[in-house]
Amino acid sequence: MADGRQAAEALDRAAIEALFDRATGVLDRRVLCDEAIYRLELERIFARGWNFMCHDSQLRAVGDYLVSWIGEDQVIVVRGDDGEVNVLLNTCRHRGNALCRAEQGRARSFVCSYHGWNYGLDGRLLGAPGASTYYHGELDKSRLGLVRLRTESYLGFHFATLADDAPSLFDYLGEVGRTGLGMACAHGEIEVVAGVQKNIVGCNWKIAVDNLFDWYHVPYSHASADAAGFVDVGRILHPKEQLVMLGEWGHAIGGPGMPAERQAELDAMSDEAREAASRAQPANSDRLRPRAAAELMGPVGVRSYGHPNIFPNLWITLSGLQMCLRLPRGPSATELWWFTLAPKDAHPQLKRRMVQMASHIFGPAGLLEQDDGDNWRQATRSARGAASRKVGHFIGMGLGHGETRDAGGGARYIEGQISEHGQRWLYQAWTEWMAARDWAELAANHSQPPTGAI
Amino acid sequence: MSALETTAAAGDDWPATSLGERALVQYEVEQFLYAEAALLDARDWRAWLALIADDVHYWMPIRRTVTIADLDLEFTRPGEMAYFDDDRAMLEMRVKKLEAGSAWSEDPPSRTRHFVSNVRILGLRAGEITVEAAFHLYRSRLNTEQDSWFGRRVDVLRRAKGGSGHGFQIVQRHLFLDQTVILAANMSTIF
Repeated sequence: MADGRQAAEALDRAAIEALFDRATGVLDRRVLCDEAIYRLELERIFARGWNFMCHDSQLRAVGDYLVSWIGEDQVIVVRGDDGEVNVLLNTCRHRGNALCRAEQGRARSFVCSYHGWNYGLDGRLLGAPGASTYYHGELDKSRLGLVRLRTESYLGFHFATLADDAPSLFDYLGEVGRTGLGMACAHGEIEVVAGVQKNIVGCNWKIAVDNLFDWYHVPYSHASADAAGFVDVGRILHPKEQLVMLGEWGHAIGGPGMPAERQAELDAMSDEAREAASRAQPANSDRLRPRAAAELMGPVGVRSYGHPNIFPNLWITLSGLQMCLRLPRGPSATELWWFTLAPKDAHPQLKRRMVQMASHIFGPAGLLEQDDGDNWRQATRSARGAASRKVGHFIGMGLGHGETRDAGGGARYIEGQISEHGQRWLYQAWTEWMAARDWAELAANHSQPPTGAI
Repeated sequence: MSALETTAAAGDDWPATSLGERALVQYEVEQFLYAEAALLDARDWRAWLALIADDVHYWMPIRRTVTIADLDLEFTRPGEMAYFDDDRAMLEMRVKKLEAGSAWSEDPPSRTRHFVSNVRILGLRAGEITVEAAFHLYRSRLNTEQDSWFGRRVDVLRRAKGGSGHGFQIVQRHLFLDQTVILAANMSTIF
């Protein structure tokens, strides 16, 4: 089996950085199909970064658990006896069997179905059959607990990492990641609605991530949703009022942004006036955010009605109503998980409408998302051909036409028409993560958000 | 007067009807379900839409892999997240989308076969028949893509006024998939 070492030995730093040519915006299609590169991604991106696990509202009581993923490492995410969220590798220390086979549930402890080893909600080995007899009382339970991951949270969103030397979650998110999660909470406290939609698309995970910054495809890919009267693309697109934010470590936001003059008018309005103005807007308009949102999203971020991606694979969309995780399943498959968020104090009728609308837009049966899967799948497949593979992906839109400005907190932003600045930042960061052997090397060899023209 | 109408009084009258009456309704219902499946397989979306009642609820909850102890969590409940949670207007939009000439996920179109079996009439109340069935939707896409969805379905059928068309309207279609993670790039077809 290919593993990350093969790619690491075959590709030195220069070769990895050459997989994406920042000067021309051309991406080498090997990154979409090569098994060894994929294995290296599992080690250098997924195992190294902070991965979204769940929102606090998904684990209400002690023992509530769900099973999630860091790359292809399966983890148990569980509310421990002390009320904290624990993230544990779902692999028995004895013979590797999965402790949890369900995707969610309630547990008092985790008992392995192979030989009966029993672990606490914090991963400690509580007991094993035959500990005093067959093991002669010599089983050192203190050394045989489940592997427990570093876990931190921001605004109630829990993340985990396999890297002990990763920066804190707060610092990792930076201005752009915090803006993204802030977007979800901009209208007040939220909870995740029961039910995560899950489906598998035969595409490389990066094609799905790249696509979230891509407002260029919306009028064409999703023309039928517009023709059916489901979305008014002309209303949601704002092709000349785009706001791209770039953050350290590869986080970015792309999509429509409220022009600064309009935001200044909004800043002068009370929350009540904003709500009244929101209600007066036509359908498919974004609800105007309350005054407090600027605290969560920053002075520039609060103007974004686009799509944040928390590197590597957490997309926040619909102005925070939904989030999508893109879980890698080999170089040619991605599992999509859709989480739906609702304001905690929303009127049941409003909540019902929001949930119904969420089910209609994205997810496998969603009127928008239906048409994405085939495009991504065919793009991935074409990377397998000997000749097609050598044709680079062209990600050059707007290259050299952007002017970056300071967004505060180390982030930069670009305003203007639809561009591919977000996608280029994604792939540039990807090469830097892939070229670095550990966090120290990444920290010493990664780009800060660019200044000046871009 | 049909067997249905003779027993359409308030309350669940199904158990009280005679074997002959039940056999007749069973036959009518099965023929209706087969005719409906044929319309979908023939991509006759408009004719299919004519079978849909104005107050339809077309719903496919999310199914989860859970332990026996947690089986109460297996399906999401009404009002929670679902794959389909459609009213008549939403189904009309799905049809309009398929007709738009730009529904790329259905052009080239999927080739589908809708199988309906194990049809059991669960109840009869005020002119509405509750029907449980097993379904298998097979979809072939492009040259090499195949999807299969199996599940249990609970439909509510209402006797159509005037006896025109296929005899019934679909008031409810609740689809309980046997898959948990959907092993398909999309669900762009109608179940």
